[in-house]
Amino acid sequence: MAHSPEVIAELEDKANLLRRNIIRIFENSKQGHSGGTMSAVDIVAALYFHHLKLDKKNCDWPERDRVVLSKAHAAEAIYAVLPEIGYVSKDMLDKYYAYKSQFQGHADRWCTPGIDYSGGSLGQGLSFAAGMAKAEKMHTAINPPPLRVTAANMPKLVLKYNPAYRVFCIVGDGELGEGQNWEAAMFAAKYKLDNLICIVDYNKFQLDGPVEMIMPLEPLADKWKAFGWGVYEINGHSMKEILDTLELVNNMYGDGKPKCIIAHTVKGHGIPVWESVHLHYSRLEGTTIAVKEGREIYG
Amino acid sequence: MAKFNKYVQIGPATPAVNGAEAAMIKVCEKYPNVVAVLEDMGMPGLEWFKKHAPERIVECGIAEANGAVIAGALAAEGFMPFLHSFSFAVIERAYNQIRQSILVDRFNVKITARDGVWGDLGISHDIVEGLSCTRILPNLVILNPADVVEAEKAYIAMADYVGPVYFRMEQSAPAPLKIFTDDYPFEIGKAYQIKDGKDATIIATGYLVTEAIKALDILEKEGLDVGILNMCTVKPLDEEAIIRVAEQTRAIVTAENGSIVGGMGDGVAAVLGEYAPAALVRVGVEDEFSQSARLSADVDELKDLFGLGAKDIAIAVKEAIAKREQFKLVRK
Repeated sequence: MAHSPEVIAELEDKANLLRRNIIRIFENSKQGHSGGTMSAVDIVAALYFHHLKLDKKNCDWPERDRVVLSKAHAAEAIYAVLPEIGYVSKDMLDKYYAYKSQFQGHADRWCTPGIDYSGGSLGQGLSFAAGMAKAEKMHTAINPPPLRVTAANMPKLVLKYNPAYRVFCIVGDGELGEGQNWEAAMFAAKYKLDNLICIVDYNKFQLDGPVEMIMPLEPLADKWKAFGWGVYEINGHSMKEILDTLELVNNMYGDGKPKCIIAHTVKGHGIPVWESVHLHYSRLEGTTIAVKEGREIYG
Repeated sequence: MAKFNKYVQIGPATPAVNGAEAAMIKVCEKYPNVVAVLEDMGMPGLEWFKKHAPERIVECGIAEANGAVIAGALAAEGFMPFLHSFSFAVIERAYNQIRQSILVDRFNVKITARDGVWGDLGISHDIVEGLSCTRILPNLVILNPADVVEAEKAYIAMADYVGPVYFRMEQSAPAPLKIFTDDYPFEIGKAYQIKDGKDATIIATGYLVTEAIKALDILEKEGLDVGILNMCTVKPLDEEAIIRVAEQTRAIVTAENGSIVGGMGDGVAAVLGEYAPAALVRVGVEDEFSQSARLSADVDELKDLFGLGAKDIAIAVKEAIAKREQFKLVRK
């Protein structure tokens, strides 16, 4: 299950490619949700460049893995990856926030190829992801596709079968204050949505200050466990831990439990000026300094 | 006795929800992707699901915010979810969820809700603002059927239409008269002229169409020839029909079982103001909340309290006619 050093190094390079793209986005837009974007970069790189089942030629492939970016203000992290897959042209990186751009202020399904959920109003993404995961189970139950192993026709001793798709939901820590997340958590446990993986980008800061001051989340892992989820805690900037955990979770499919990966991250990770201030939103001077620093570090 | 147009044959009072029940079974049989997303408040046709397709029931419990978004996601994956509860729960509790996770992407979700002021459940459950708070939402079609026949036809039309719809049910109001014939051709977005009239026109929606029909008896005795335009589709409003009756009579009364603030009457007022000036009186609940009344004996008391009965509509018609003379508006 362990990933080779070569694979890890390659994906770390890919994460740096995303950072370069994000710097390009900020260079043009001069503003954006810097903190929560940078904290999610390594997770996004691991998902899109390695773990997700995608068709680079068809972003609407019905059996693709879904990604619901509940913290849709971190859209820049996904916008950085979409041109690399080929879903949008690379010059879109210069059009973030622009009128009629596919790169809207928050990630939107209605205008951007490769985006599965129109977010921005926090606290709803996990419900949407749970709904998609439930839909996958229902498609299987209602209309079993031929030549596919399903729960019904599965040989008795085989404990696992592959779902048509899995749903990955990236939620912020601050937005866990929205009670709807816990409605969704109950729903996912009730319907045994083991095809649903929630990744908490736990960067410890929200707009008004530290999460533990605004609305304490701890003990966070215990909360998810109490709601009936399988819970894993990792360093969200260790590519090895991210990859190994995603694979571990993948292999747990069939246990009837939704999974939560609590990824401990750093707000503004990778750009010193942003790391130092834990800023939710960067504009003007801060952005200029960050872009300069980013160019020096990532080229 | 009033002379009604084709497709109108007044019959005994029948609950409109019966039409929705009958339609749901037809809809389920026609569309295998229909799913019932429940919020612990049942749903028209639920017995059919339990008997024939329990795997198409998704019970979300008392968690309407989650329920609305689950429905949006199921629609994103090709299902046609029906979502049902009281309007304060299924819509108002989940207002932003409906906006963000259903309407933004025009997901094919059908919301059916119990709304309106009559009833025994009191201020929390008898909702005055159900039409007002939904009319302002982009991408949403709003249907408010007048009788059992229209309820069935509108329900099926809702399923045939691809996109989000709010189907309003005034279940706590008295049962409406059976108004339409079985061959009544319902179409979303088209108002139906139940009766022509040269002196004034009542534009009514939902249960208030029944009260408007009853008002005709009062008005005829006073020598007034008054038309009724049935506005089942509250959004998008049939502007052509409104302009037509406004030019014909220049005296309009709107009638709805809900608040006059932001309701159907406000929509009609905007059309009149912009395209066809006419004297207007809005019948509906004033800017206030509801309260309990027993469903049988006290029904008329609540009707009188809010001024929603036939005699209130008749008074409003005479007011509109007087205003027309005062404003010196000329009929075509």
